[in-house]
Amino acid sequence: MIATSPTARKFVLPLVLGLSLVVGSCAEQAPSRYDQVQQETSQKGTTAVAKEAVNGSKLNRYFPKSGSGYSVVPAQEKKGFAEHKLNRGGKTVAVLSINDTISTPTAASKYKQSTKKISGYPTVEQGSTITGVLVGDRFQVKAQSRDASFTPQDRTAWIKKFDLNGLSTLK
Amino acid sequence: MSKPIFEIVDELPKGGLTVTALHTLDFAIPGQWNNLVGFDNTIRAVTGETDESLIQQIGERAVALYNDKSQGYQRALWLYETVESGSGLLGTAALANRIGQDTFLGFLKNITPKPEKAQSIDLCVKLVTELVAFCQINGIPGDSIGDFLAALGDYSGESLMRMAALACFDGVIPLGPEFAGKALNFFDSTSPKELEGNQTYKSVQELIPGNGADAKKGFITQSFDSAKSWMTNFVASNNITQQGLMGKLKGFIDFTDDKADYLGALLDMNVKYYRHTGVQTLARRLVERAVAEI
Repeated sequence: MIATSPTARKFVLPLVLGLSLVVGSCAEQAPSRYDQVQQETSQKGTTAVAKEAVNGSKLNRYFPKSGSGYSVVPAQEKKGFAEHKLNRGGKTVAVLSINDTISTPTAASKYKQSTKKISGYPTVEQGSTITGVLVGDRFQVKAQSRDASFTPQDRTAWIKKFDLNGLSTLK
Repeated sequence: MSKPIFEIVDELPKGGLTVTALHTLDFAIPGQWNNLVGFDNTIRAVTGETDESLIQQIGERAVALYNDKSQGYQRALWLYETVESGSGLLGTAALANRIGQDTFLGFLKNITPKPEKAQSIDLCVKLVTELVAFCQINGIPGDSIGDFLAALGDYSGESLMRMAALACFDGVIPLGPEFAGKALNFFDSTSPKELEGNQTYKSVQELIPGNGADAKKGFITQSFDSAKSWMTNFVASNNITQQGLMGKLKGFIDFTDDKADYLGALLDMNVKYYRHTGVQTLARRLVERAVAEI
């Protein structure tokens, strides 16, 4: 740490140049709640995304279209995953996504406990901002609020706007 | 084994030269950048969730995604880190060149490029690095200039800060208000052989699209030319000037006006804004994906 107090915030040029040559030493790391997963997933040959997962580019067509003051903007497109932002008035109010649970079976298994449905597909709520459905026992569709104005009812309404039936036939 | 992503994000500094220098640009993009550091903090800020078991699940998935090399996240971090260590060397070279003009290290002048040309190459290569890293993180083909430009208009938060700093610290300060046109001209006049001798280019060239220095140079020129108007508009619409920026930097770095040309080199060596904001962007995108996939 170089700057700690207002009086110490004035740097003299040669001093800074000198400091740039100094190499810091590494401190011992404290244990982390992620040590176990780090250990498990950093082994050679482990992958986070299954080879059979569909490409994100194949998922885009099932997303809702822009309309009623909302714009749907593509954000990420990776293997087994696609994400679009839902913007209103230049602000991201929600995030919409589809992922292929072939890589994450536990994500799919949580729907077995589901007692509610959206458009005939099992749905769960996670935390206070996330609503998901499982389509065709494989594709998880989520709507996440990014602004308090975007309510759980809005999330359900936007999930219904996906082409869920089309997605259920994707292999 | 590479360093775990949670440690990288946890170790981002809350203060120091990089953070202080970036905050001098708040006037141009008010409220956009709040220097979000810490892995769990990032999860909370991105998702708005506070449930610890949910945060654990999101974090675990993010760690797994980062560790899967085929997903491109490690490559993006490598780009952000490497382009900066390359340009840090440029800073040393530029400084050596300056010293060469003034004092006893005359011989260094012969082995260091002219500062403006070197700065121009640096600026162009850094811009193309952003494009390539953007594609790695977001999963868009690596040569997709159009997608990048569309996204640039929608950049926010730490990504917008990185581009603001690129235009200001690597553009306006070393090259003046006409930096974009100037850089493009200098870059254009650089031979592929000269380009191959440039540290910044050398450090990241393997991930720049194109077969050989000539093709890569063409890709960099095309990318920079496409993003030029964004940078020019950004500087013009925020009334950013060399004098104004130096005035703000004088708030925390002591330099006299006759040493002002050392400033670019000084920033190059000490302000690691590409890595700092690059890690923040990477962490954000990882968390966004992780929360969607659990």
